[in-house]
Amino acid sequence: MSVAAATIDRHGEPSTATGIPNKKLLFWAFLASDCMFFGTLISTHLVYRLHPPPGNPVPTQIFNIELTSFSTFILLMSSLMMALAVNAIQRGNVRSMRSSLLVTIAFGLIFLGCQVFEFNDFVFEKHVTITNSIFGSTFFTLTGTHGTHVAVGMLWLTLMYIRSFKPAAAAGGGWVGRAVIHLLVFAAAVLLAMYATLGFAHAALASGINGPMLAAYSSSYGPAVGGAFLAAGGLRFLGIEHGPVDFDAHNADDVESMGLYWHFVDIVWIVIFTAVYLLEYVFPAGPVR
Amino acid sequence: MDLSLPADAPGHPHSQSRYNVYVQIAMILAIITGVEILLIFLPFAKWLVIGSLVALSAVKFLFVIFFFMHLRWDRLLCTGIFFIGLVLGGGTLWALVRLFSAAASVPLSSSP
Repeated sequence: MSVAAATIDRHGEPSTATGIPNKKLLFWAFLASDCMFFGTLISTHLVYRLHPPPGNPVPTQIFNIELTSFSTFILLMSSLMMALAVNAIQRGNVRSMRSSLLVTIAFGLIFLGCQVFEFNDFVFEKHVTITNSIFGSTFFTLTGTHGTHVAVGMLWLTLMYIRSFKPAAAAGGGWVGRAVIHLLVFAAAVLLAMYATLGFAHAALASGINGPMLAAYSSSYGPAVGGAFLAAGGLRFLGIEHGPVDFDAHNADDVESMGLYWHFVDIVWIVIFTAVYLLEYVFPAGPVR
Repeated sequence: MDLSLPADAPGHPHSQSRYNVYVQIAMILAIITGVEILLIFLPFAKWLVIGSLVALSAVKFLFVIFFFMHLRWDRLLCTGIFFIGLVLGGGTLWALVRLFSAAASVPLSSSP
């Protein structure tokens, strides 16, 4: 047996003809197809940047490279946390995996929040929409598709996190009901926190952080902030284990597949950040020739 | 692969060393990202900046797929499958950009 085969994470799975678990093999095939999918979107954006029509927005006047750099760094760190989560479950450490998953989810939310903020700024401040220019169409289609991939990944991470609490002696409906409640509380915490955070960012940018701004913010967003803290408390309560769980190193393949998806989302962003954002600053005056 | 060993034992296939590798790689990726951002503001020749950006992005890309996505430790088939899609997608991108960069592809009403 080769060294590579000896280090494959196989825990009780039936052997396959390729020596690779079927789930993992399928996932690599899916990622290969997704490469082609994003390849077409990126190439469409670049092609239309070669010869922009008259009146097309100038990207360097629209982009906030500091914000995008920050969100890129955050996504890289979320990729690290995902790798640590996979590493943890391969060692059978469920609690460490859960902590790493929660941090991955948090960083993913920060990235999505930055994208929402950016899209809002482009549409309402800079007046660049998906329909009023070629740049807007290709940019929002590409980054919006990537953002959708991130959002789907977030949902998967959350479901995997909740799944890790399934009791070893699960009694059918009881566990499902608790899992649904856990998911709803998670969704409430996420949505309220994002709403409150984005509201704070907009208020701070509009009038700076001062007494009147904080007072106005409290009256408008106070319930959302309170709700977010309440939901976080609910998550803390629901995150308490009540006995052995039906989740261990045997589930490592599932977590690894999820990890592959999350890392893929990260590498696509690595390409998008360079091709869509950074290259515009190299050619500020016009198209690539 | 001796799973009877404690998780952090040196003989265990998923020991602390991989944790350290992941953290070190994440730091390298963060530094490379910082260098990329700095590069676009430096007064270097365009070909140098673009070449450096492409090379640095490729390095980040390869670090993530071979270490974070475990291709370094998995069977070659996984690498082959992924690179088929990558080459097809990348090749299509390159071909389209080359095609539309040609003088004959300049639209009649494009910006000067």
